[in-house]
Amino acid sequence: MDQQHIRNFSIIAHIDHGKSTLADRLIESTGTLTSREMAPQVLDSMELERERGITIKAQAVRLFYEHLGETYELNLIDTPGHVDFTYEVSRALQACEGALLVVDAAQGVEAQTLANLYMALDHDLSIVPVINKIDLPSADPERVMEELMEIGVDGTDAALVSAKQGIGIEKVLAEVVEKVPPPSGDPASPLRALIFDSRFDSYKGVLVYIRVTDGEIKIGDRIRFMATAKEFEVTEMGVFGPHPLPVDRLATGEVGFFAAQIKTVQDTRVGDTVTNADRPAKEPLPGYRPAQPMVYSGLYPVDSQDYGRLREALEKLQLNDAALTFEPETSAALGFGFRAGFLGLLHMEVIQERLEREYDLTLITTAPNVVYEVQLVTGETLRVDNPALLPPAGDLAVIEEPVVEANIITPSDYIGAVMELAQERRGTYMNLSYLDNVRAMLTYRLPLGEIMYDFFDQLKSRSRGYASLDYQLDGMQAADLVRMDILLNGEVVDALSTIVHKDRAYQKGRALAEKLRDLIPRQLFEVPIQAAIGARVIARETVKAMRKDVLAKCYGGDITRKRKLLEKQKEGKRRMKSVGNVEIPQEAFMAILRVDEQ
Amino acid sequence: MSALTLPWGLYVHIPFCQARCTYCDFNTITGMGESDHVRYVEALVREWSREEIPGGPMVSIFFGGGTPSLVHPQLLAQVIQAVGERVYVPPDAEITVETNPGTVTDAKLGILREAGVNRLSIGAQARQNSHLVALNRIHDVAAIDDTVRMAREAGFTNISLDAIYGLPGQTLAEWQETVEGLLALRPQHLSLYALIVEPGTPLKQQLDRGAIRLPHDDVTAEMADWAAQRLTDGGLMPYEISNYAIPGYESRHNRLYWQLEPYLALGAGAHAYVEGRRWWNVRGVRRYMEMVEQERDPTDSEEQLSREEEMREYLWLGLRQRRGVDRDEFRARFGHDPVLLFQAVLAALRDQDLLTVSPAAIQLTRRGWDVANVVARALVDAEPAELPS
Repeated sequence: MDQQHIRNFSIIAHIDHGKSTLADRLIESTGTLTSREMAPQVLDSMELERERGITIKAQAVRLFYEHLGETYELNLIDTPGHVDFTYEVSRALQACEGALLVVDAAQGVEAQTLANLYMALDHDLSIVPVINKIDLPSADPERVMEELMEIGVDGTDAALVSAKQGIGIEKVLAEVVEKVPPPSGDPASPLRALIFDSRFDSYKGVLVYIRVTDGEIKIGDRIRFMATAKEFEVTEMGVFGPHPLPVDRLATGEVGFFAAQIKTVQDTRVGDTVTNADRPAKEPLPGYRPAQPMVYSGLYPVDSQDYGRLREALEKLQLNDAALTFEPETSAALGFGFRAGFLGLLHMEVIQERLEREYDLTLITTAPNVVYEVQLVTGETLRVDNPALLPPAGDLAVIEEPVVEANIITPSDYIGAVMELAQERRGTYMNLSYLDNVRAMLTYRLPLGEIMYDFFDQLKSRSRGYASLDYQLDGMQAADLVRMDILLNGEVVDALSTIVHKDRAYQKGRALAEKLRDLIPRQLFEVPIQAAIGARVIARETVKAMRKDVLAKCYGGDITRKRKLLEKQKEGKRRMKSVGNVEIPQEAFMAILRVDEQ
Repeated sequence: MSALTLPWGLYVHIPFCQARCTYCDFNTITGMGESDHVRYVEALVREWSREEIPGGPMVSIFFGGGTPSLVHPQLLAQVIQAVGERVYVPPDAEITVETNPGTVTDAKLGILREAGVNRLSIGAQARQNSHLVALNRIHDVAAIDDTVRMAREAGFTNISLDAIYGLPGQTLAEWQETVEGLLALRPQHLSLYALIVEPGTPLKQQLDRGAIRLPHDDVTAEMADWAAQRLTDGGLMPYEISNYAIPGYESRHNRLYWQLEPYLALGAGAHAYVEGRRWWNVRGVRRYMEMVEQERDPTDSEEQLSREEEMREYLWLGLRQRRGVDRDEFRARFGHDPVLLFQAVLAALRDQDLLTVSPAAIQLTRRGWDVANVVARALVDAEPAELPS
């Protein structure tokens, strides 16, 4: 296809505004798939993605569309729909010249709409506004058009669509052709192609998803990844329609994938530039940065025999996930395990769920924490990704924690409630602006560690579900932080240590001790629970000794059943971790996440 | 010792009830009439005629339910008679009928006496009409007193009463009133059960709905401890976790269960045990009757305990009794001293002060008595040591 007839575009939207359904309709109406082949949300191929209704990894589909008698190649590059994957979104957008900005006709502009829009504008993309769900009784497209104007998008000619009912799809396709410019790269220059995704295939090795910016790439070419400097020979190429179709070359402006006997996605970093090893480009495409985990958590097998299987499973997941890191770690409480690094909480949950589901592992996960940068009085600096490893307070000069800039869009009635929440979480007020006369956008700088847990749930509950949130990392910031340890029966349980702000330590300590008192079942003996900072105990609770644990009735007809009950109880106890003599259930290690629950 | 010489008993299941109690998950059926009772008892007799009889002495017959006292006593007499036609039932054999207050008359009790029944187990459960109504019991407090009085007059000298504690909304004071009221009836035997909320019962649904609430665990524990002390003071000694008796009136039948002695079983859903084999009949009452009538074996399923499994059950069941596990009896049965076989686990439990080991017996301590499940869980999969046979 000649360059003038190619259009590369993404769909950006706030969660639940109908991005995946719209993608399905576009694929269906261009005849790329027959409706019989359509499973809902074709692009969300991972089982988990479909279940959770979110897109975890990006994908690309080539559509052919006839407009005014000419055939166009439309490459739809899907983007992940979660703030954890902001960097992946930015790379997918860099592979495009335009974006469909989808807004729910009833909900209007939300925080993610805005964040995505700004990101798309940063990449100089042409914006095609789409107002979706116009079939809803509560749809108010005119109000949404006004909101779009307010955020700088000409909403007056927005496509009015119901992706669910297939209304307005044709207009969307026509707008893509008319409003999104063709790719502008130079076919004669040395190859430069942007990696916007990659995934591991057990037969072909890594499939590298690329957008060719300059030059072309063919089967047999020797290519080089400019950041990792690894070289491979291209063995296979293809495009997705959305089933893979082989091709033997990809020209300037085109989107597709190649395989080159690559063993791990660690070699094919998203955002890196592919060039020709024999005729390399001088400069890589801008914007690459290595994936940097922001959230860490300990992963321990409940059954210590599973340690080897856990390692293998993590290695396999890493083949397909360059952002996942892990290091062996030993905990006095939990034994041998790993400290794993994730892009964010969702990424963490997805990995944990895949480990349990796809690899049949039973895990204890410690409460997630952010990474801290610590300067010691000796001048030495450390990165601390495990609270238990924070040096004693006396050795510390400065602790810095990651902060984010958060945009919260809320009906103006709840501004007070939202501000209160942000203050409670140590937020710094930055800005307040109005989208229209009923909705406002608040901007705060907040410690990442404070919004990781239940900030979003709190935000929703305090705004009756109306507020939306988006955030981006905004560097590190010094804070007055201390390590709080938990002692059970006089012994420190390293896996329960957390880093908290000094001013809130008492409150957190009390809340955590209380939560643990409720979560730890009664044992044969009394178990004191203490929260301590250094040697100073700041809270104390007690799990009283178990008074009775008997089967009331046990007669002839009951014995088999009662024996099975005892065996089941014993199995349940085996799943607990024993520290000293105290049996601790799995949930207890996540207790810190729940101390703010009312 | 084997099934050839061990004492054994017979359990007869009578599934009929007038109404279903909210907590009950036993195999029971309501709404059946006298002709069904007759047909069912015919099936029991027919099933009995095909049972293989163990070699030892018969020591007990137990009519459990359901509500055995609901069917005409002449029908129960027929079963006892049929038993006597195939085995020798010694005069001191314990023959028990579970009895619900409000289902018997002087005449009916007389017929039971005549048939050889010498023990009644009466389900009193509580002595507050409000609790009896809430549990969907078919009787009131006065009916408990009447039933005991009639039983005495009919000549019964071995009467057991059942009560439940930890009932929804029950206070310690109410429980004390129940215990005192039952003691005043001067029973020979008492069974006190902590309420168990079984899945699928109306009780469970009421709790899930939040319509009712159970007392706090500590309150329920207090009820148990208070009653144990009160009964001991009153001369009823605890001989098993939930059972109390004037010495000499311990239930012989129950002891079969806790010492893995053989018991045969007749009736729908009834469980039997002989020498490591445990088997049970189909639960459905109609299905049971049809199968027996068609000369088919009504057994639903069975399990065969290995020697090791049998030893483990012998231990954790045996320890439910105050007398504990007699080391000589264990050795006579399994060929080895249990203390040698299970040395490691028993030592660990002793170190936790949950049991004691004397030259004669293994017994739970006072603390072990409170947390018998901790001991049972330790034993339920304990590996016996390899010993030369």
